[in-house]
Amino acid sequence: MPHTSELADSHLLKKDHLKGFLRKLAKEYRLVAPVRNRHSDVLFTVIDDLDAAEIELNEPPQNSLKQFFLPQQERLYTYTTSPEGYDFQPIPTSIPPTVYFGVHPCDLSAVLYMDVVFSRRQRDPFYLRRRQGSVLIGINCNSPAPKCFCNATGSGPFIEMGSDLQLTDLGDRFLVEAGRTSGHGLIERWQGFFAAATDKDRAARYQAFLEARGRFSRQVHVEQAIRRLEADAVPDEVFAELSLRCQDCGGCAYLCPTCTCFTISDQPLDAISGQRLRSWDACTFAGFTAMAGGHNPVQAKTEAIRQRFTHKLRDDVRLTGRPSCVGCGRCVGICFGGTDIVRFVERACQGSL
Amino acid sequence: MPQPITDIYLPRQAKVEQIIVENSQISTFVLAFSDHTYNNAFRHQPGQFMMVSMPHCGEAPISISSTPTRPGAIHLSVRRAGKLTAAMHGLRTGDTIGLRGPYGRPFPMEQLQKKDLLFVAGGIGLAPLRGVINGCLDQRDQFGTLTVLYGSRTPSDIAFQSDLGLWKKQGVDCRLTVDAAEPGWDGAVGLVTSLLDDLKPNVNQSTTLVCGPPLMFRAVLGRLASMGFSDHQVLTTMERHMKCGVGICRHCHMDGKMACADGPVFSLAELRQLKIMELDG
Amino acid sequence: MTNSINEIENAEVILVSGSNTTEAHPQVARRMLDAVDRGARLIVIDPRRTRLAECAHLHLALRPGTDIPLLNAMMRVLLDEGLADDLFIEMRTENFLALRDMLNRLDLEATAALTGVDLPLIRQAAQLYGRARKAVICYCLGVTQHVCGTENVQTIANLAMLAGHIEKEDTGVDPLRGQNNVQGACDMGALPNMLPSYQDVANQDYRDKFERAWGVSLPEAPGMTLVKMTHGGAQGPIRAMFIMGENPMLSDPTLNKVEETLRGLDFLVVSDIFLTETARLAQVVFPAACFAEKSGSFTNSERRVQMVRKAVAPPGECRADSEIIMALSNRLGYAMEYDSSGEVMEEIALLSPIYGGMHHDRLEQNWGLQWPCWDRSHAGTPFLHKYYFTRGKGHFMPASHTEPGETPDQEYPLLLMTGRIYHQYHTGTMTRKSERLSRECDHAVLQINPKDAKAMGLRQGEMVRLVSRRGEITLAASITDQVEPGMVYTTFHFAEAPINRLTNDAFDTGSGCPEYKVCAVRVEKTMSS
Repeated sequence: MPHTSELADSHLLKKDHLKGFLRKLAKEYRLVAPVRNRHSDVLFTVIDDLDAAEIELNEPPQNSLKQFFLPQQERLYTYTTSPEGYDFQPIPTSIPPTVYFGVHPCDLSAVLYMDVVFSRRQRDPFYLRRRQGSVLIGINCNSPAPKCFCNATGSGPFIEMGSDLQLTDLGDRFLVEAGRTSGHGLIERWQGFFAAATDKDRAARYQAFLEARGRFSRQVHVEQAIRRLEADAVPDEVFAELSLRCQDCGGCAYLCPTCTCFTISDQPLDAISGQRLRSWDACTFAGFTAMAGGHNPVQAKTEAIRQRFTHKLRDDVRLTGRPSCVGCGRCVGICFGGTDIVRFVERACQGSL
Repeated sequence: MPQPITDIYLPRQAKVEQIIVENSQISTFVLAFSDHTYNNAFRHQPGQFMMVSMPHCGEAPISISSTPTRPGAIHLSVRRAGKLTAAMHGLRTGDTIGLRGPYGRPFPMEQLQKKDLLFVAGGIGLAPLRGVINGCLDQRDQFGTLTVLYGSRTPSDIAFQSDLGLWKKQGVDCRLTVDAAEPGWDGAVGLVTSLLDDLKPNVNQSTTLVCGPPLMFRAVLGRLASMGFSDHQVLTTMERHMKCGVGICRHCHMDGKMACADGPVFSLAELRQLKIMELDG
Repeated sequence: MTNSINEIENAEVILVSGSNTTEAHPQVARRMLDAVDRGARLIVIDPRRTRLAECAHLHLALRPGTDIPLLNAMMRVLLDEGLADDLFIEMRTENFLALRDMLNRLDLEATAALTGVDLPLIRQAAQLYGRARKAVICYCLGVTQHVCGTENVQTIANLAMLAGHIEKEDTGVDPLRGQNNVQGACDMGALPNMLPSYQDVANQDYRDKFERAWGVSLPEAPGMTLVKMTHGGAQGPIRAMFIMGENPMLSDPTLNKVEETLRGLDFLVVSDIFLTETARLAQVVFPAACFAEKSGSFTNSERRVQMVRKAVAPPGECRADSEIIMALSNRLGYAMEYDSSGEVMEEIALLSPIYGGMHHDRLEQNWGLQWPCWDRSHAGTPFLHKYYFTRGKGHFMPASHTEPGETPDQEYPLLLMTGRIYHQYHTGTMTRKSERLSRECDHAVLQINPKDAKAMGLRQGEMVRLVSRRGEITLAASITDQVEPGMVYTTFHFAEAPINRLTNDAFDTGSGCPEYKVCAVRVEKTMSS
């Protein structure tokens, strides 16, 4: 229940002092926040110069935090092959402890989901070494963007868990709620920046939440699509029709904060050495499932997009109790063919009561 | 505090100790990890697979064809199919490759105890079953009768000949068939399903392990059902494109299941719950 | 394009001809599909059942090379059913009577039969197009790469003018250009007969202007077309060539002839970002910088000039094309000393009227500018031919059917069409370096109809030999009803199966464009199968 917040430990931070607080954080952490660049695009960016960066907390950033924990391409090993043998060498890296500031609830939910993906079956060393030592400072969404539908996926506009500190914009000040131990530590460490929040402030947060809920411009019936998928009631024609329209660009998966499918490939550097790379992949590509020799267990023409939607809206619901679509709407903006998840939900629900 | 995490993606070097040429397309590579301590401690279960690395070729999953009851060497039987397996066929004794694993859910050997076991395989499909058969022979008193039905394209394509010979000597009922006969072949000609027609198994006492190309697989399933086998009595192992081998990268997705981590061994009853090409055609 | 790409979204009827838009121009296809979602009708003219054809309301699967009779039949229907825009014809066009007379003499049934498309389908398409308030025609190389490519385009213009579907927003005729800057290259005079901004070299006034600016005297006669240059033979008139960013050893027709010509040169210089098949024949190779390694502007299909900014330094000794040209020119004794691409743009604005108002500081804003943009105060032109055509009145150019340069016969019974696929770009010099793209598609396939495949006993994926009068290649068969019986289709991306060894060097006399879309071939089983 949003108003009886689990993040009960609440404080106030005046907006005037935000930069000062971030400056303190930046002394001990690498700082990543949504920054508006000179082309007016908002992107999560590593901030080197806090005074030069225009931090944007309202407009949702175009990228998510995915690239910071699962880079679009990362080197896993170098390898050499010589008369002595074929050997892999790990790549020495040190990931600085990082504060991710200004993370919207959808993107926070996505990080929590990725934590499951990369530690449920096996602990993924490359993900976890980036994730460990990271601090998440979230911001609730007072005014969801037109493409947003996190209210339908249970991942916004306000969030109760997942971050170390959670901010709510109350006009001239932020209500700051401390979630985890590390969040309390940050407040304690720099307590001069914070004042105690009153019941009035907490009431204002609740009011902001209520108003935010009313600001969604579209209704996406994700729950209904989930039920239809679970009941195997979505006709094959829906998958076939959308697969025909899919233009095979992979943009949805690349922008999606929870699409974590990857591939591993070797890049030769010369005849006897090379590097093993891990890079983002997309289940909509025919080559994703094609086996050596060309046989493909997925018929691309009619089934290309089935896995994408059944995974997010059925399999992950079975696994975690909630869909792994976080309602950020990024795929809706990028999709070439009109086969995004909102379209799928609409089509999946057609003909149902 | 960050805890050290095992590097699950790091391949270990293994040396080719012996190469058994099974036919023009299939060879069995006998391998041992270069690190002898690791090699001696290495254990697997039948039905599991290894991720094999070859220089500049990335990785591919190959099922283990040796039996856990004979530790110290890993056998990988490999059919030439793509770039990596073609490179493997260029290996010579003493060369090194990369290995990580074992991965995947194995055949449920304990459930198979006391059962009559019927193995039905086509081509390279005998590879994952080979470890089960040898395992059964090493603990002969634990299992009932053993029957192997094996289909090949032509008599010269029959792989695992030395195994088949040894199995026969140890009382395994081995029956072979080929799609097309060659001069000198006096065995059966036709689909492996036709071999099933001559069998009179004690169905209630039996479990069937099937492995082969999708067309053969579907034909065998139909025949087994008419013989009275329930879906729980049929086990198989699935082949998919794989990258991580541990259930994360999702290349091997099968309608919500991952072939690498939920399988590769499945009962037919489990597969019936899934929408997959092997059953849908 | 007379329209902007985004305008396609608002059209009521979209007629696509000879364009595999979802594969070759996905961003344009996106607008088409968006328009369909909003209720627009989509008509696709294509011999193959492309993905876009599957999404279309009407698919006119014409016999390759019969564009003119098909469009003529549509126009005749417009005339018969009173769907011609009389006012537009009266006010804005000339030579209508010639077209009308030609159309009225047409035997509609026979014309339809020639195209292989059912007359009712043609009639339906004509009605849809003629009745629309806003209609666009998008066409591509399926229209132009024929011996009658110029007439094909003129016939499309006839259709648009007859229906009055031009000169308005969301309405017009849109050729889709293939490369990021092919429009810019034409704009800058990379044509045998034009100085930049389509100023005819034959015109003394234009020549004077450029001669004054450049301090040189310019030739009066047009130069040679590409195919003439690359097909001159070992003893051809051209003795030295400088080829930039082009790989004719894979992209030009009749490759054997191209190879003979290039090998016969006294001196060949190639500038490219990778060592292409063509560069391998050169005595001197200049390593060039790629798009991300240089600054300047590109001009796209909708005439939009956009800035491209250097993101990374070129590797090794690579240099931007402009630097290569300047260094070469300086050594040859003509001083070219531009300090920046901005300075080059200032000269373009000075000498090319349609680029008159385009300066880098303006292009930096928003998404660039669309030509014509006459001066600094001009906002650019989203759609062309408002109030008047470039040449004044629109001139109807009636055309009739021209047979392709080569048609199937007993010896070569199949008609070969060539084209592109989504995952590879042109001769693959760039895309084939990508592991991911190669995973999706790394070899040429020959599309063949199940009927033909069955008659030949072909299996899916079987290697076959494709033979024409000019050469042969080996590639894998892909059995699909995307192609009709009697036709086969493949792509030209793969050096292992260089399809242009087979294609015909018949070309359009108007434009010099080779007939890549039609030649006669036969398919043979290979020994191994």
